[in-house]
Amino acid sequence: MLRRLVQVGARELSRAQSSTATAEKWDLYAGVLVERLPVVSKSLNPLEKQFQDLLWRVEYENSLKSDHELKHEREIVQAELIKQGKIQVDLEDGGSKQTAQDLKDAYVEELKKFQLGSRTTPDDQANKTTSTNRCLEDTLYLLVKQKLGQQEHLILPQGKREEGESMRQTAERVLRERCGQELQVLFYGNAPVGFHKYKYPSNQRTESVGAKVFFYRASLRSGQVPEKVTKFEWLPKEALNGKLTNAAYAESVNKFLL
Amino acid sequence: MSLLGAFARLGLQRSGGVAGVAVARCLHTTPVLCAEPLKKKKKLDPQIVKQREDRKKKKIEKQIRRLEKNARQLKPVEELEVPLELIDEKDKRQRKLAPLSSAQLEERALLKKQWAHYKHDERVADFQIIDRLVQAQNKALAELRSESEELYQAAIDIDPQLLPVAVKGPVATPPIKDYVSPDGDYLHQSMKWEVK
Repeated sequence: MLRRLVQVGARELSRAQSSTATAEKWDLYAGVLVERLPVVSKSLNPLEKQFQDLLWRVEYENSLKSDHELKHEREIVQAELIKQGKIQVDLEDGGSKQTAQDLKDAYVEELKKFQLGSRTTPDDQANKTTSTNRCLEDTLYLLVKQKLGQQEHLILPQGKREEGESMRQTAERVLRERCGQELQVLFYGNAPVGFHKYKYPSNQRTESVGAKVFFYRASLRSGQVPEKVTKFEWLPKEALNGKLTNAAYAESVNKFLL
Repeated sequence: MSLLGAFARLGLQRSGGVAGVAVARCLHTTPVLCAEPLKKKKKLDPQIVKQREDRKKKKIEKQIRRLEKNARQLKPVEELEVPLELIDEKDKRQRKLAPLSSAQLEERALLKKQWAHYKHDERVADFQIIDRLVQAQNKALAELRSESEELYQAAIDIDPQLLPVAVKGPVATPPIKDYVSPDGDYLHQSMKWEVK
């Protein structure tokens, strides 16, 4: 009961605060950071490679010989003895027997036939930024061409909140409107991950002075943005920073990029 | 019988012998039916009773002991047991490698140190990223709260759709198109263990 009272009190207090703060009105926007998570693991850097080699070497040194190795050694000794003529060649048995070396050669041959999947895709070579099938080792982020004021900018999809919506609902609606229905994403919770605010140019301020954008993080499950809806690009972090022209916006976005 | 006698005596007193006999004839009494002499209770020797109880107790205790013994006996994990032939042939199976030279040892030690530094830096960088993300989120929530308390409350609500979480990979190789996985034989090797 007491806690309830305190909560209510706090709520009223903060409301009073916010009402004093609304002397200048801000528009609320929801932005969505859609990420395509890495598909393949990172390739090792030189130090990691070196250390892995060391670990494998130590593992080999500490291991015991396997049955296969023992068989191989026995056969070598036997072949040596036959060469020296100390024992007779057992024709019935020896002809059909597969030696350890034969088996090993067969295994190596089989392994050679197997080709690992390529870590680079045709879209990588073509530098097709609209494709999600590229930069498999990195996280890709979605940028969408959007009109702010008179100009078009390449930014994270964003949109204005409507009355009665929570910010999360706004974010979901905005993504649907900007990027179509086919894009299936998973939102990470109800809380925004980042924030950015900017003021409108002074000649365009009618009732509100600027926009406060609350960013939500979501990961791509399946689907793609239809080409005809908007211009868009999937970019890794470095390229993303190159594309964001507004320095303040880029700084705000970089705060919640991994 | 005493009742009859009493009446008889009454009748005799009142109206002579004949009438008294007639009264006695009209009065019937029934004997108690279905009765049976009580059985004699078997008396048990208290010592025997005690013996029996002891025996019962012992039996249960024995069962408990047996169960406890079994409880400590765990199901063997085959993979964890060193096969006997490996123990027997250990000398034969040991690799006879030339001992490492001091230069090699030095090189390995250096590499390990370098690796420790590298991992440390990596860990510190990770923590910095986490700090940055938490800060960014706290700032966003604080701003949202200053705008509207209701929106803030909606934002800090738990999202039940997130559970259960299903996460897939990153994997070592991207999926290979039109790859036919070689068919193998399926051998079911795991043993069945039963409690005796």
